[in-house]
Amino acid sequence: MITSYELRVTSYELSVPSIVNPPALPALPFVKLTNREAEGSLSKGQSSIAMHSSQPQPTLLLRGITKRFGSTQALDGVGLAMYPGEIHALLGENGAGKSTLIKIITGVHQPDTGEILLDSRPIRIGSTLEAQAHGIAAIYQEPMMYPDLNVAENIFITHAGRGPLVNWRRVYREAESILDQLDVQLDVRQPARGLTVAAQQTVEIARAISLRVRVLIMDEPTAALSAHEVEQLFSLARRLREQGVAILFISHRMEEVFSIADRVTVFRDGRLISSAPRAEVTPEGAIRDMAGRTVEQLFPRSNTVQEETLVQVRELSKAGVFADVHFEVRKGEVLGFAGLVGARRTDVGLALFGVEPADSGEILLDGVARHVRSPNQAMALGIAYVSEDRRALGLSLPMAISANITLPTLRRYLSALGLVRGQAEAAEAEHYRQRLAIRAPSVAVEVGKLSGGNQQKVMLSKWLNTKPRLLILDEPTRGIDVGAKAEVHQMIDDLAAQGMAIILISSDLPEVLAMSDRVLVMREGRQVGLFSRAEATQERILAAAMGQAGGETVA
Amino acid sequence: MGFSLRRLLSWEGLLLLILLLVVAVNALLSPVYLGLNNQVNLFQLSIEKIIVALVMTFIIINGEIDLSVASVMGLAACVLAYLFERGVPMEQAVVAALAVGALCGAFNGFWVAYIGLPSLAVTLAGLIGYRGVARILLEDRSITGFPEWFNRLGQQPILGPLPLAVVLFFGLYMIALVVLNFSGVGRLVYVVGNNREVARYSGVRVPRLKMGLFIASGFIAALAGVLLAARLGAVRGNTADGFELDIITMVLLGGVSIFGGTGNLFGVGLAILIILNMRNGMALLNVTGNVQTGVVGLLLIFSVLIPNLVQDGQTLLQRRRARRKEVELKVKAGD
Amino acid sequence: MNGLRRWLRPEQLRELSLLALIIVALLIFGMQIENFLSARTFNRIAASVAIIGVVAVGQTLVVLTRNIDLSVGAIVGFTAYFMGMQLHANPSMPPLLALLLACAVGGLMGLVNGLLVAYGRIPAIITTLGTLAIYRMLLVNYADARTVTTDMVPAWVPGLAQANLFTLGDFGLRPMVALALAVVLLFQLVLVYTQFGRRLYAVGSNPEAARFAGLPARRTVLLAFVLCGALAGLAGFMFLSRFGNITVVAGQGMELQSVAAVVVGGVNTFGGSGTVVGALLGAVLIDLLGQGLIRWLGISEFWRDAILGLLILLAVASDALILTWLRRFWTPKETRLGRPSESVGPTRERRHGL
Repeated sequence: MITSYELRVTSYELSVPSIVNPPALPALPFVKLTNREAEGSLSKGQSSIAMHSSQPQPTLLLRGITKRFGSTQALDGVGLAMYPGEIHALLGENGAGKSTLIKIITGVHQPDTGEILLDSRPIRIGSTLEAQAHGIAAIYQEPMMYPDLNVAENIFITHAGRGPLVNWRRVYREAESILDQLDVQLDVRQPARGLTVAAQQTVEIARAISLRVRVLIMDEPTAALSAHEVEQLFSLARRLREQGVAILFISHRMEEVFSIADRVTVFRDGRLISSAPRAEVTPEGAIRDMAGRTVEQLFPRSNTVQEETLVQVRELSKAGVFADVHFEVRKGEVLGFAGLVGARRTDVGLALFGVEPADSGEILLDGVARHVRSPNQAMALGIAYVSEDRRALGLSLPMAISANITLPTLRRYLSALGLVRGQAEAAEAEHYRQRLAIRAPSVAVEVGKLSGGNQQKVMLSKWLNTKPRLLILDEPTRGIDVGAKAEVHQMIDDLAAQGMAIILISSDLPEVLAMSDRVLVMREGRQVGLFSRAEATQERILAAAMGQAGGETVA
Repeated sequence: MGFSLRRLLSWEGLLLLILLLVVAVNALLSPVYLGLNNQVNLFQLSIEKIIVALVMTFIIINGEIDLSVASVMGLAACVLAYLFERGVPMEQAVVAALAVGALCGAFNGFWVAYIGLPSLAVTLAGLIGYRGVARILLEDRSITGFPEWFNRLGQQPILGPLPLAVVLFFGLYMIALVVLNFSGVGRLVYVVGNNREVARYSGVRVPRLKMGLFIASGFIAALAGVLLAARLGAVRGNTADGFELDIITMVLLGGVSIFGGTGNLFGVGLAILIILNMRNGMALLNVTGNVQTGVVGLLLIFSVLIPNLVQDGQTLLQRRRARRKEVELKVKAGD
Repeated sequence: MNGLRRWLRPEQLRELSLLALIIVALLIFGMQIENFLSARTFNRIAASVAIIGVVAVGQTLVVLTRNIDLSVGAIVGFTAYFMGMQLHANPSMPPLLALLLACAVGGLMGLVNGLLVAYGRIPAIITTLGTLAIYRMLLVNYADARTVTTDMVPAWVPGLAQANLFTLGDFGLRPMVALALAVVLLFQLVLVYTQFGRRLYAVGSNPEAARFAGLPARRTVLLAFVLCGALAGLAGFMFLSRFGNITVVAGQGMELQSVAAVVVGGVNTFGGSGTVVGALLGAVLIDLLGQGLIRWLGISEFWRDAILGLLILLAVASDALILTWLRRFWTPKETRLGRPSESVGPTRERRHGL
C-alpha cells in the first residue's frame, strides 16, 4: 500500500502540468477521498436532483440542461449528478440524448440553458481543452491516437508546460508507472499503430490519469472489445473508482451495465426518465423505461406480402463485422432490421449492395445464387441501397436535384455522343418531384439547399429510378420532420403494394414495428431474433437487441 | 438586377474585372498591344500551356493533380526529335510521341487510380522521371531542321489570319466546355471530385474515370509538346521545363478548388486570358521571363488565399452574429 | 524475437535496409569499377551530399508535418547569390555572422511559406510552387544580370569546401561536410529530444487529434517551414562556398532532389514518421547510385533524373504497400483480432498533403 502510494506521489509530481492544476482541486486525486462528510456538509444550495444529505458532494453536477438542434429537442431540462468514486451508467435508445449530453460535458457543444457545477462552483466548458483543464476526460469507441508515436508519448504528448526538452527516461518511467498502477501489460515503446482498440483505450485512460482526471466519460467503450478485453477495461474502471474518479459509463450491453454500475440512469427522447442505485433497478425495468417511447400516430400498414420469395440470404458473414446472417424476403414484404448502434445492420445492407462485399455466404435472387461484388452488379440484379448518411454517402450536395436522381442510371440519359440529354433527364426528375412531392421550385435546384426531408425524397427518387426489386432503406426517416416522415412511410407502403421487397433498417423502434411485416434483430454482428408482426413488441426487441433474451420465433 | 449583381460579385466577375484592368493598362502602356498581330501572337506563344490547362481543369475538379504535364510535354517533344534524328518519318514520329504521352498518363493513372497512391507524389515522381528520360534521349543536343510542313504547323494561318494553334485552342476549348458541362463524363468528374464515396455508392467506376483522365492528360500534354516543338522549330532536353506552374495557376486562378468538386471552364478561360495578357504586356515592356513567372506565382497564391480569407471573414461574422443573438437571448431570459 | 521486435520497428528497418543497400551498392561498384572505393569518390559524394543533405534535413521537418516545400531550391539560389554580393561588399564580415545572415535570409523566406500554409490555409504544394517562382524572381531582380564569381568573395569562403579539417590517409574531412554532419546530428537530436520535434510527429501523425487536443498545430507547422527555409539558407551559403560562381539559376532542381532524398530516406509522405538520418541516407544512396551507375554502365549524366524519378516512385509505393504489410507482420497475432485500429485512415485532407 505504501509503495503504491509513493508511486502515485511520484507520478503526480512529475506528470502534472500547471494548467491542469486549478487551486481548488484536491492535491492528490488518486488517493481515495476520505473527507466526504466534510465536503458534503460544506456544499450549500444543492439541486433538486435526487441527492441525500448523507452523500458527498458531487464532483460534477448538471442542472436543467436544454439543447436544441433545429427542430429537434436533443435535451430537455436534464440533470445529472456524478459523485467521486461512483460509476454512473447512462442508458437510452439511439437518439435519447446521451451523446449530446457527453458533448456538452466535454465542451464540444454549449447548452442552451442550464448550468454545470464542478465542486459546486458553476463552470463554463467552452472547448475540449477547457474540459481537460477541469479534469474532465472522455474515452470513445474509437480512441484518438497518434499512430506514429509510441505508447508513452501518446500518453504525454498533449501535456503543456513540460519544458522544451523531452526526458525520455522520465517519460517511459512515468508511463510505465501509470500503466503499472492500472496493472496493464503494455510495451510503452511500441508505436500506437497496430495496437488493438482495447490497448488504445488503455492508453487513453492512462492519458486521462496523467492529466489528473476527476470526471471520466466512457462512451460505449466496449463496443469493439472482446469479452476478455471488456473484463480488463472494467477492472481499470473499478481501479479509477477506488481512486475517487467520477465515471459516466455508456453502454448498450445490459449485463455490463449491471455488472459495473453503481447507479443507473435512463434517458428517453432527451429527458431523464429514471435514476436509481443499481440495487433498485432490474434489467427489465430499465428496458421498460427505455422502450416507453412516445409514438406519433402509427402508420397503418396494409397487407402486401406475396407468396413468392424474392431474396434468400444464407450464412452471410464478413470477418470481424457480422456472421451467419440468414433471412428471406418475399415480394411485397417489409423486413425490419432492428438493433442498437454497432449492431452491424448497415454492414449487412452494404454487403447486399456490394459496396463492402461479404466474405462468405450466399445471396439468392429468385432462387438463383448471385455474386454481388460491386454496386454495379447489385444494381443490375435489381438491388438498391438508400444510405443512412445523406450528406457523406448519399447525395452530391452542390449538384442539382435532377443530376442526383439520374446519377446511378446516367447511362440511360446519354445521347449517342455521350452528352446528357437534359430534357429527358429533367422530365424524369420532374416526374419524381411530383410523385414524391419534393418541395423545390424546380429540379435544377441544388440538393444542398433542400430540407432534410426533401433531400431524403431525392435519395429515394434516385434509387427508385433504378427500378429495384429489393430496396434497402437505411434509416430513411432520421433527421426529417414529422410530415416528411409520414410521406416516407406512405411511400414504403405503396412500394410494397407494388410487389417490391423492402429491407427497412431503422433505429426508430416504433417505426420498425409499425412498418415491418417481420422484424430481424441484430446485436454486435449476430442475428439474435426474428419476430413476426404479431410477436414484435418494443420490450421484446429491445431485450433481444441488448442481449437479454432472444429467439428465432419465426422460421 | 439581383442576378447580374451577384454575377459581378462572383469569382468570374472579379476575373472579368481583372482582365479588363490588365487589358486597359496594357493598351495604355504599349501601342502595339491591341494590334491583331500581337493578339494572335499572344495566343500562339502560350497555346501549349493553354490546351494542357483545359485537361488539368478536369483533373483538379476530379480531386487530383498532375504535376508531370510539363515533363510529358518535354518527353513527347524529345521522343519526336529523337526519332526524327534517327530517320523515322515525321508523321510516324508524331504518332509515337503522342503514344508515349498517353503511356505516361496511363502510368500515372495506374498508381493513382488502382493502387491508391496520392497523385501529388506519383506525378512528382513523373515530373522528375519523365524529364530524366527526355534528357537521356537528347542529352545536351538541340535537334532542329524539322520538315517544312511540320514547322509551319503552328504558324501557318489556316483560317483568315488565325494559325492552327489559335483555331485549335478555340476548338479544344469548346469541346472541353461541352464535355465538362454537358456530357456524362463531365457530370461524373464533378460528382467524384465533390465526394468520391457518393459516386462509389452510386455505382460509378471511380478508378476507371481517374485512369481515363490521366491518360487524357498525358495525351494532350504530348500533343502540346509536339505543337511546342513545331512552333520553336527546335527541341532540347529542357523543353517546356517549368510549364506546370503556369498551367496549374491558370486552373486555380480560374476558381477551381484545389480540393476538387467545384469550378468551371468559364473561370479558367478568363484566367487564361488574364495570364496571357499579363505576360504579353510585361513582355512588351521588356520584363524578363523570370519576373513574369514570379508575378504568375503571386497570382497563384492570391487566387487561393483570397477565397480563404473571405471565408474566414464570413465565419467570423457569423460567429459574432451568433454571439450577439446569444446575448440577446440571455437578456430576454433575464427579463 | 520479441526483444528484436521491441527494438526494431518497421521505421528503423527502413533505415537499416537503406544502409544495407548503400553497402551492397558500394560492394558492387567497388568490384565492377576500378578505383571506385577511393578517397576521390568519397570526397566527391561527400561534397555533393553535404549541400543536398542540409536541404533535405529542412525538407524532412516540413514533410513530417504532412506538407512539402518546393521553394527550397529558389531559397538556396537566392541566399547563395545574396551572400556572395554581401561578402563582396563587406569582405571583412566574420564567418559566423555570414552563416547566421544566410540562415536569417532563408528563414525569412520560410516564414512567408509557413504563414501562407499554416495561417492562410493554402495547401503547401500550391504555396511553395508559387513562392518558388517569386523567390526566383526576387533573385533575378536583385542580380540584375550580374553574376557572382569566386574571386569576388573572401578566400575563406571557397576554403570551406576545399580545405581539410583533418586527413586520414587520402580521406579528408572538409569543414563543409562537418557542418552538414553537425546539422544532421543536431536536428536528429531536436526531433527525438525536444517537445517541438515530437509535436512535428504528432501533428503529421494525426492532425485532427492534434487540433482536438489543443496542440499548437499551426505554430508547429510555421516553425517547420521557418527552419526549413533557414537550413536552405545555410545550404545556399555552402553552395556559394563550393561553386563560387553563382548565376540566377543557382539551386534550380534542388527542391526535387531534396524531396527525393526525403522520400527515399523513408520519411512518410503522409507525415508522422521518418528521421533526418534516414533523409541523409536517402541522399547518399541517390548520389551513390547516380555516380556509380554512370561510371559502371558508362551511361551519361543525364540518367540521373530518370533514376531519381524511379526511386521516388519506388519509395512512395513501398511506403504504401510494403510498410503496411510489414506492420501487419509486426503486430502480434493475438492483438490483431478484434477491430483493426484504422480509424485514422486517409481523409479528404490527406490527399493533398504530399
